[in-house]
Amino acid sequence: MTALNGKQRDHSACSGCSLCLLACPVWHQTRDIRLTPHGRAKALQHGATAGEVAASIASCTLCGACAPACPEEIDLVGMMLELRKQQPLAPERVATKLNGSAKAVLRAGIASTLLLPGEGLREDTARLARIVRLLGDAVALADDDGSDIGLALEAGVAVDNERVARFLDGLRGATRLIVADGIMHYALRRLSPGMRIEGLGEALSTLAPVRARLRASDLYVIEPRAFHGDYARLIGHYDALRANSGCAMNLDLQRFAIPTTASSAQNALGLPGIDATAQARWILQGRSIERIVVEDIADAAVFARVSARPVVHLGDV
Amino acid sequence: MPHGVVIARNAAQVAALLKTAQAERVPVTVRGGGLTTEGESVAYGGVLLDMTGMSRVLEVDADRLTVRTEAGIFWASLAEVLRRDGLDYLSAPLNLTSTVGGTLGVGGIDVNSPRLGCSADQALALQLVTPTGEIVECSDTENAALFERAILGYGQFGVITEATLRIRRYTPIRMRYFYYSGLRTAIEDLQLLDRNDASDYCGILTMMDKAINLLVAFDSDEREAAFDANWQTRLRGSGEAGFALRMGLHYALRPWRLGEALYLWRRKRELFPEFRRPEHTRDGRMHDRAVVFSRAVWKFWGGRQMVIPDLATSAGKFADAVERGNAVCRRFFPHYTLYCVGIRLREDHRAHYEMSCIPPDALGWAYGCEFEPMIGDAVYSRDTLQSFKNAIYDIGVDIGGSYYRFGGMMKGYIRRALGDAVVERHLAMKRAADPAMILNRDVIF
Repeated sequence: MTALNGKQRDHSACSGCSLCLLACPVWHQTRDIRLTPHGRAKALQHGATAGEVAASIASCTLCGACAPACPEEIDLVGMMLELRKQQPLAPERVATKLNGSAKAVLRAGIASTLLLPGEGLREDTARLARIVRLLGDAVALADDDGSDIGLALEAGVAVDNERVARFLDGLRGATRLIVADGIMHYALRRLSPGMRIEGLGEALSTLAPVRARLRASDLYVIEPRAFHGDYARLIGHYDALRANSGCAMNLDLQRFAIPTTASSAQNALGLPGIDATAQARWILQGRSIERIVVEDIADAAVFARVSARPVVHLGDV
Repeated sequence: MPHGVVIARNAAQVAALLKTAQAERVPVTVRGGGLTTEGESVAYGGVLLDMTGMSRVLEVDADRLTVRTEAGIFWASLAEVLRRDGLDYLSAPLNLTSTVGGTLGVGGIDVNSPRLGCSADQALALQLVTPTGEIVECSDTENAALFERAILGYGQFGVITEATLRIRRYTPIRMRYFYYSGLRTAIEDLQLLDRNDASDYCGILTMMDKAINLLVAFDSDEREAAFDANWQTRLRGSGEAGFALRMGLHYALRPWRLGEALYLWRRKRELFPEFRRPEHTRDGRMHDRAVVFSRAVWKFWGGRQMVIPDLATSAGKFADAVERGNAVCRRFFPHYTLYCVGIRLREDHRAHYEMSCIPPDALGWAYGCEFEPMIGDAVYSRDTLQSFKNAIYDIGVDIGGSYYRFGGMMKGYIRRALGDAVVERHLAMKRAADPAMILNRDVIF
């Protein structure tokens, strides 16, 4: 690992402050320090192998809240992805989802901005069409959004270079990517350095018509992975959005997004993990709201299960 | 290293553990947030009992302004729950990952402690598992003697498994900063504000011993207006612009101290924005002060090699203690920070304070100062750091004070500072309560 501002960025730099715990959904539900970034770092500092912390590696939902929380600036998401490579999640199930035949159509001549909708939105064609119209003429839909690559990355399963190259080919010529799947932010920042990458939530919530329709009685649910992955920049965006609309947000006192974890690889692969409905209940606890607005389409179903309030995607407000 | 770790899940499990440990004479070391710096929560053999497994809020009573919570909860987690109902705890360490139980056992100091006292004094009742494994409820009126010993008792007389705490309505705060170039003047002004209940929050944080920040804050416009009318003009500190001008002139006449000036400028540039983060500021008020302070503390003072000796004294001895401690810091480190705050004492809790961080001669307020070297990437030997701590702790013995960091590796100072008689009395009580001396055995005795 490299040093940043003179600080080491791997587990050896962990000073044990536990600030990561406060933002960690796994900690929130289990109260088991072994299943937290702090617990993993301390185990690794004392010589544990990835195999010896396998349960901890399997439990992480990669919401990324621990990374901006860490005062030592340890790349906790990168560290977890490295550990996942040694202890992958259900590699056989991931293999069946890898899109070996994906063939992207080059869209560079059509639009400089591509929308990568992710698996959940891609299946909802009517909503997706509305979102594309909302985003404007300059935005085209990517044929290949690399969802399978994102899942494999999150699960720690290797993807062959040819598949990655085909995916990147489809993005060639674009200067801006709007990415609905939070984990793809992490992947694309590394695969396409220099490219402007935005979350779908950020892109939509920047639009004046969308902002105008947010109400003070809304609970606005930020997609956590994109938010935490570019926290220093996005905290200002969302703080302005909150001030502008008066809506409540799924932010904790440290101003990190409380995730439902509905989009985690554990959920996608049918593995045991964090109870997303319990997370949604915790987000709702004590809040007087009339509507729930979600950035991540996967969150809509979770909130609909635990609340009688209307739940809408940001693209539908 | 412990021989085993148990994550606490409920009082019955803790009771079973302690009964067995008592019978088998197995040491049990209790750990909350693990933030003690003298090794109090480090187990050398035996069982380490991790209390963070018991961290649920059990009941919030918004009418009576009380909360019942499991004691392994972090103050920040408690605040998260309380804030959903527009409530807040009274005072807690400016460290998000201190636990309630750990804090009640040692004290707990906040920048509102000059007004509201230490965290331990906000506890109304405790569920305690005694060293022999009985689960007991205690308060000022029920099992009062046990309550007396458990509060500020450094975990000697039981494991706190639940606590009922006083709470309050949440308010954001308006911060004001006054700058001083002399420690004594700043301390005198701090004590002036404390004595006169002139602010809701008050403390000193230094960048250097000639760049001292007295922070003052208010819960309401009314309190701030009263401060402006009655006390502001009596403070001898400057505002930020005035102080910058003074320091500019000071260093213009002393160009050979350019390095010092650059350090101050860099420190100000890095540190001040952390206290004014826009996402924690609305309409000029700071929201979630504990988050703001704690994140800044870990970012700028945190690290794997943290050394934070302290002194606790009565009001009259405090300025001397700080000046002497400052001289020690200068001898050992190029850069360091002093954090000073008062603690309002409760006369009805005087018995709780015996053999604790509250010095026996403190009346009305006790005062604490932490001496925090900025170690950064520098490497110091253990001997150097221990010598530094000893030099600070020796001041406590010399002036008849006490210490916030009270046990563990510095426990040898307890007898020296507080005398044999009081230590022997507590040791006799400990032997009666914990016949095999299993519970937190290296912390005090």
